Parts: sequence; C-alpha cells; structure tokens
Amino acid sequence: MRVKLYGTLSQQFPDYRHSEGIEVEIPEGTTVKDLLARLEISESQGALVAMEGRILKADDKIRCGVPVNVLQAIHGG
Amino acid sequence: MKFMKVNMTDQTIKLEDVPQDYMGLGGRGLTSIMINKEVPPKCDSLGPENKLIFAPGLLSGTSLVNTSRISIGAKSPLTGGIKESNAGGTVAAALGRLGITGIIVEGQAQEGDLSILRIDKEGKASLIPAQEYRGMRTYQFVEKILETYSKKTAVLCIGPAGEQRMPLASIQSSDIDGRPCRAAARGGLGAVMGAKGLKALVVDQGGKSADAIADPKAFNEAAKVLAKIIKEEFINVNMMGPLGTAGLVAPLNSMGAFPSFNATKGVLDGWENISGEAMAELIKKRGGNTTHMGCAQCVIHCSNIFVDKKGKYVTGALEYETIWSMGGMTGIVDLDTIAQLDFLCDDIGVDTMSTGVAIAVAMDAGHKKFGDGKAAIEMVKEIGKGTEFGRILGNGPAAIGKHFNHARVPVVKKQSVAGYDPRAMLGHGVTFATTPMGADHTAGNLVGLYLTQQLDPLKSEGQVEASRFIQIAMAAFDVMGLCFMASVALLTPEAGEAFLKVLNAKLGTQFGPDDFPGAMGIRVLKAEKEFNRRAGFTKEDDRLPRFYYEEPLPPHNTVFSITDEEIDSTFDF
Repeated sequence: MRVKLYGTLSQQFPDYRHSEGIEVEIPEGTTVKDLLARLEISESQGALVAMEGRILKADDKIRCGVPVNVLQAIHGG
Repeated sequence: MKFMKVNMTDQTIKLEDVPQDYMGLGGRGLTSIMINKEVPPKCDSLGPENKLIFAPGLLSGTSLVNTSRISIGAKSPLTGGIKESNAGGTVAAALGRLGITGIIVEGQAQEGDLSILRIDKEGKASLIPAQEYRGMRTYQFVEKILETYSKKTAVLCIGPAGEQRMPLASIQSSDIDGRPCRAAARGGLGAVMGAKGLKALVVDQGGKSADAIADPKAFNEAAKVLAKIIKEEFINVNMMGPLGTAGLVAPLNSMGAFPSFNATKGVLDGWENISGEAMAELIKKRGGNTTHMGCAQCVIHCSNIFVDKKGKYVTGALEYETIWSMGGMTGIVDLDTIAQLDFLCDDIGVDTMSTGVAIAVAMDAGHKKFGDGKAAIEMVKEIGKGTEFGRILGNGPAAIGKHFNHARVPVVKKQSVAGYDPRAMLGHGVTFATTPMGADHTAGNLVGLYLTQQLDPLKSEGQVEASRFIQIAMAAFDVMGLCFMASVALLTPEAGEAFLKVLNAKLGTQFGPDDFPGAMGIRVLKAEKEFNRRAGFTKEDDRLPRFYYEEPLPPHNTVFSITDEEIDSTFDF
C-alpha cells in the first residue's frame, strides 16, 4: 500500500519523495498501531492515520488498497 | 498599573491609577468588561461614544515567555456587537514594560485630523500630527516611523482601509523585525481607529517601569517551569516550529473539513500545492525562513518569512487561516499568489480571512472564476484604492452577498467563518454560532481534540460541551496575553498548576483552579454576551447561515446537525 507522510515525519526517511509516498507491504488485518510501528514512528511524534476522510483509532484495521495519510497532531491556529 | 486616557475630541492625554473595578484584568478581560460598562451598546461604532481600548495581557512585559499578545477592543463596525481582536508582535511587551495596563481612546478628532500617539521609554505620551502619512500603506509607514524614532519601536497602525473606515479594516502590528505583518484583523477595529483620527500607536520598547511583581522569586521559578513546558510541548516541537499553523492544511483536507470553493467542498482539488509541507519546502529552497521568531519573548517560533524566486521578502508569517481563505475558498492553489494577497491585505490593512471569503462569495456569484489569482489580487487592490467595488468588498462577505444577490455567504454576525467547516467539524459550528465575537477561529478551536481523537467531529454528542469548555478557557487565557500555542500547552494539570503559581506570584493573590481559567473565562464571556444583548442581539443571531443545514458537504455529505436548543445551551451560566 502507498503511504504519504505529513508534518515533519518525512525527515526520518532520507529518500522520501512526496509525489510517490512510501510503498509498504502489510498483511491483512494490519492496525494503525502496527503500521506506525512498522514505520518506526514513535508515540511522541503525535502521528495519526487518516483514511477516507477519517482519523482512525490505534486498533482500527487498515484496508489494503486505500490511500493512507500519516499526519501529525496540531492545534488550530 | 496605569490607564492612559486619550481624548481625541480635545486632544488630551491623562494618566490615572487603575480603578478597583478593573484591577486584576488585562487583555480581553479588560477590553470586554470596560466596553460592557462604559460604551453605550447602541452607539455608532464609528462615532465619538465608542471607545477603542488597547490592553496588553496581564503578564505581558514580564519574563514569562509567549506573553506578547495585545488585545484591542471596541464596539465592532462589522458585527455591531462587542469585539476583541488580539495580535502578536512587540507592542504588548513594550506597554507592559512601561506599566501601562490599558490605553483608552475616547471621543473623535475633527474631520480630516489624523494623529500618531507616541509613548517614549519614560512613558511620556504625546499626540503628533500625522497628515503627511495620510493614505500611506502600513509597510511604508512603519519604515518611516522606525527611521524617525528608533529601530526599537513597536507600532500598531492602520492602512488606507482603516482611514476609509471599512468594516474589514485591521490594525497591523509590527513584529520583531519591524514589519507590520501581524494583525488584530477581525471585526473592523481599524475602522474604529480611523474614525477616531488615529493613524498609529508608536511605543518605545526600552521602558523600564513595569509593574512590581508581588513575589519575584516564586514568579521566576514558576516561569522557568512554564517556559520548558511550552517549548517542549510535542505539537510545538513537531509542527508549530517547523511548519507553523500552515501545518493544518493537510489534516483539514484529510478530514474533509477544509472549506473550499466558497464552502461547497470539504477537500480542495490541488491542496497539496498549498500545504504547510509544500510551503516549507519552497521557502527553504528559496532561502527564506520557515522557523521565524515573530513575537517578543517567543520560544515556539511558528512564524515564517515567505520569499520570492529571487529570495526577496514577500510576506511574513503566511498562516493557515490566510492560506485557507485566499486559497481554499477561492480555489487558488498557488502559494506565490496567496503570499502576494497576504502582503497586500497587511499593507492596505484588512483582515485576510473576511477578505478572502468576500472574494470567494464574489467568485461563487459569478463575478470572477474560482482559481483566478489575478482577479483576486485586483479585487484586493480595489479596496486600497477605495473604488466603488473596493468599498463594497471592504464591507465584507455579507455586503458582497447582498450586492450580487447571492445567498451562500459563510458568516455569523456578518463576520466570516474560519477554515473548519461546521458540517465536518460540528463543534466549530457551535463556536462560530455562539461566540459573542462573530464567527471566529480563536474563540474556541477544537481541531486538536478531533485529531487526538478525544472527540468525533461528525457526531453531535459532546460538541456543545467541548465548545463551552474551550471558549471559557480561551476567554481566560486571552486576559493574560498568552498566544494560542502557549495556552493549549497549559491545559494539562501540571502546567495549570505552574501557571497558577505564576499568576499568584505576579498579583499576590491566592487563585485556585476554580478561579482560573473557569471563573475568569465565564466573567469575560458574560460581559460580552451582556453587551451584545443590550445592543439588540437575540438567540436568533447565534445561528449559522441556512446553507449549512441544507447543503451537504462532500466528501462526508453531511449537514450541520446540532439543534437550536443545543446551541442555546452552550452558555448555560
């Protein structure tokens, strides 16, 4: 599946190109928590996974083939 | 603790001790409580009975970080109700260091007169004739003022829009580098300043007569704890420093809540071109600055310097709300055009948000096509020139809607909404509808709660309670002069305790968690609601425009579903 990174998350992936995102192979049943662990994104980075206009919860399963945005928490300004 | 009373009718300035009724108040608390007490609610907002109040936060000018917001208040010529608009920059700290609690501008100069109110580093104030600056835009004006006095001068000023008394006129505030790129933008306070005959407030930053702190040792200890909390807060580290508020573009589009094409879509086609990430990359490539200190004593550095292809300054602090209003609402997906629009608005002295929304309404009505950047720039220039169309635009989105007989006008109390669609973020609809300020993003912003999944943005449950909580908290923090990013970092129990120590050490009080933010915020909101009620507002004014209830917003295809009864229960105190 294709994952796009936002905020400052891409800094830990030196070869990251936003137009392409990152291709990640995940097994059926992968959760948000699993995906973030796989990408080695820590809790202190405030990462969130958005899919189909929704922010998913940590235990929500990711559907294969659907574009995923990995965001970082931010306050309104 | 001094009030400076400036009577524009007889051109006199008086200093007096702060009366007991206003002790312990600063910022929005002072402006709103004083307006409610002293300004006739049905007066002409552009007449002599209105008062324009400049109030640094209660903690501005102390050593506490991120306390450089100045609140400016008056009866609003845009909404007809009470208004507090605050801005960062350097003037709040400068006034705090002079021990000035508030400047109250009363009366009205003779038609045609224009003055500058100058305060030197000893606190001596004078009204200086400013005819030579008439019609001057803000960047040129501030440059001349810094040349005339000193580079260490803080400036609040109006541009041509304020002098022409337009309801979208802002009061621009100079940043650390002496550029007027911060704004008390909302509600037309620049028009009130223009109507008073005041071009600018010019304050030397070298004052050394700040109010005494009751317990300096305790204050300094607690202030150090707070500085660490604010600086290390994970959102400030991860997002606000590197991207600033522009980092909101991606989350809002990813959640389908980015009002686009005059609030007909929740995702903007091409939003990746104007995201915070795209902006930071462009600025870095061109040699600008993505992490800039804009306000005095800031440790977050959410500001930026946007430069053109040659590396030349275009505008300062291109922020989320401007990217949204000038980009999302208009369908302009080009950062260079948006940056130019931001600069023009600051230079002419108008609110970027309401101006962008007014342009979007005009485009939606067929006046120009969505996405036409050149047309948008020309429209803003017309405000500066004071052409017939420019004057209609300068009256705001509701005036443009009326001009074109176009019903889709996203305003509450005539002030434009902010960049969070109420149909996809229900709680923002509650805040927009109920805040006494007219639709506003700083009154009670819930996007942080949605992103951290403490609240589902599409479910009605909990929205009213969340809006109430955050509106009370923000009303209280606006008393202190703290910026929004610092305020939200203080909402944890540990930070709240440290903040109370700072406040009590400053004032010599024994405030507890019930007093701040709760009681303080409620006191401010009650004064504001009371003023609006006496000005003639009813609960029918606390409603979103009909289209939010009737037109589903893609991609969620939902409408605003909070009932009127629920809305009316927001301020249950």
